[in-house]
Amino acid sequence: MAKPLLERQASLIEYMTSSAAIFGRGGDLSLVQAIEGIDGPLLRIEAQFSYAKRMEKITAVLPRTFELLGNAEAELVRAFVESCPPTTINRLENARQFHRFLSSHWMRESPNPPYLCDVAACEIAFAEVDAHAAQPDAAHTPRIGIRRSLAVVLLRCAYDVRPIFEKGLKQGAPIKLETSLVIALPLGTDRAQVFEVVPAIFDLLASLDDWTDPKGPGAEPQLAKLLTDLAARGLVEVSQ
Amino acid sequence: MTPGGILPAVGIGYRAVIDRWTRDNLDRFDALEITVDHCISTSKTLRSAIFDLVGRIPLTAHGVGLSLGTDAPLDLAYLDRVAEVVERLRAPAYSEHLAFTRVPGRETAALMPLPKTEAVAEAIIAKVQTVQSRVPFPFLLENITYVFEWPDSKLSDAEFLNLICLESGAGLLLDVENVYLNATNHGFDPYAFIDALRPGLVKEVHMAGGVTIRDESLAKPLLADSHSHPVPDAALDLLEYTLARQAPSVIILERDDRLEAGDEILNDVARIRARLAATRSRKTHGEALVGTAG
Repeated sequence: MAKPLLERQASLIEYMTSSAAIFGRGGDLSLVQAIEGIDGPLLRIEAQFSYAKRMEKITAVLPRTFELLGNAEAELVRAFVESCPPTTINRLENARQFHRFLSSHWMRESPNPPYLCDVAACEIAFAEVDAHAAQPDAAHTPRIGIRRSLAVVLLRCAYDVRPIFEKGLKQGAPIKLETSLVIALPLGTDRAQVFEVVPAIFDLLASLDDWTDPKGPGAEPQLAKLLTDLAARGLVEVSQ
Repeated sequence: MTPGGILPAVGIGYRAVIDRWTRDNLDRFDALEITVDHCISTSKTLRSAIFDLVGRIPLTAHGVGLSLGTDAPLDLAYLDRVAEVVERLRAPAYSEHLAFTRVPGRETAALMPLPKTEAVAEAIIAKVQTVQSRVPFPFLLENITYVFEWPDSKLSDAEFLNLICLESGAGLLLDVENVYLNATNHGFDPYAFIDALRPGLVKEVHMAGGVTIRDESLAKPLLADSHSHPVPDAALDLLEYTLARQAPSVIILERDDRLEAGDEILNDVARIRARLAATRSRKTHGEALVGTAG
């Protein structure tokens, strides 16, 4: 009895997203048997097209990260393909997947250069902010108060990597300096930007995950002024 | 579709990286094709740029994210978002590929063919009906280019398309370049393919230009649909032959690579218009266009 089409499609895609098909290494014989009758060399060409599309998306989100990976890129990308098959056509999700893979790799082996993980985190944050800004407005929330804008990402970096984003990689290695960064889409702009904030502001923004009443007990007049300023910059949302 | 009502309109697929160039040359096109997925899952900037075009030029709506051919239920939430986008674009129809790109849990982003059998056609017809019930605009299926063939395929490309479109009421977005590539790669007569399509089936047309892949593992060079180079003359010949038999409302030039070559894009649009003019002239003078490839 013939196998159900979905099973055959799954075998085909499993083979096509394997390193065997993409890089031409030996293959899983059970997969090859499942796609018996289909021209192997042509399938590998299709697999390479698909792989190229996926990597193009990831590189578009993480261009500086890839530039800094240098000679390590080929080996890392092969390991990524083997351990993280593609699950979506979404550009950001593919980039997130690669970033999670890199982060896991850097737990075992220090990044080289050492500020690479901060650069990668910033690049993902830029894409996250853009993506949040792309979502349609959520249903009106009846809550009254303030919260951190959804299109804001907070990052604590070990290196001050801002010059890399402002002036490019040719500026040389960034200095080692604990830096509290906010990546956001300021009001009236259409491109995410990175700012350094003092730790107290960083902590305040971090605490505003959910709607909060700014007039609660103990609130000081300076806080109201500060929140107004943050709202004007698009870093917090105010619901009245 | 065209402002003056002269059909078919000729335009290009909108690509964000050449947004400025596209706007600067807007008067060179009668229509733009919008990829609906770019309106669903993308940056605020890109969405704003796309919706800003509404009312400036007629727009058509094309999808890449449905994976109609996956042997599993369709993503209805995705279709609902498509419906919203098509309405907002004021597009006359919504098109998708007759292909599959994924199975649950794994996605290739490559448009892959289906076994061309009556059983598969029946399953696709049911899915097209689901699309039609969720997206209240005329639905068009696009023929894809494929590098491999399922061994159990029984129907020809044209038989498969005719059957699905006839039974579901879907129209055809005919990718002429894909017909040319498939005919060359798999050795069939592209003119016979065009002849086999039911009259009135083709509602929109895609044109593009690709590259030739030479690899020692391949028995012969493979033409690939890379949307990166000028449309080959052979594909334009096939377009002219198609226009003598079908009446699409729009012809879209697809270009996804080497987008900096704006002159090539404008030249391709001009070449398409020239073939359109030649077809009109022949129709006016009652001449028949006879296939030239065997």
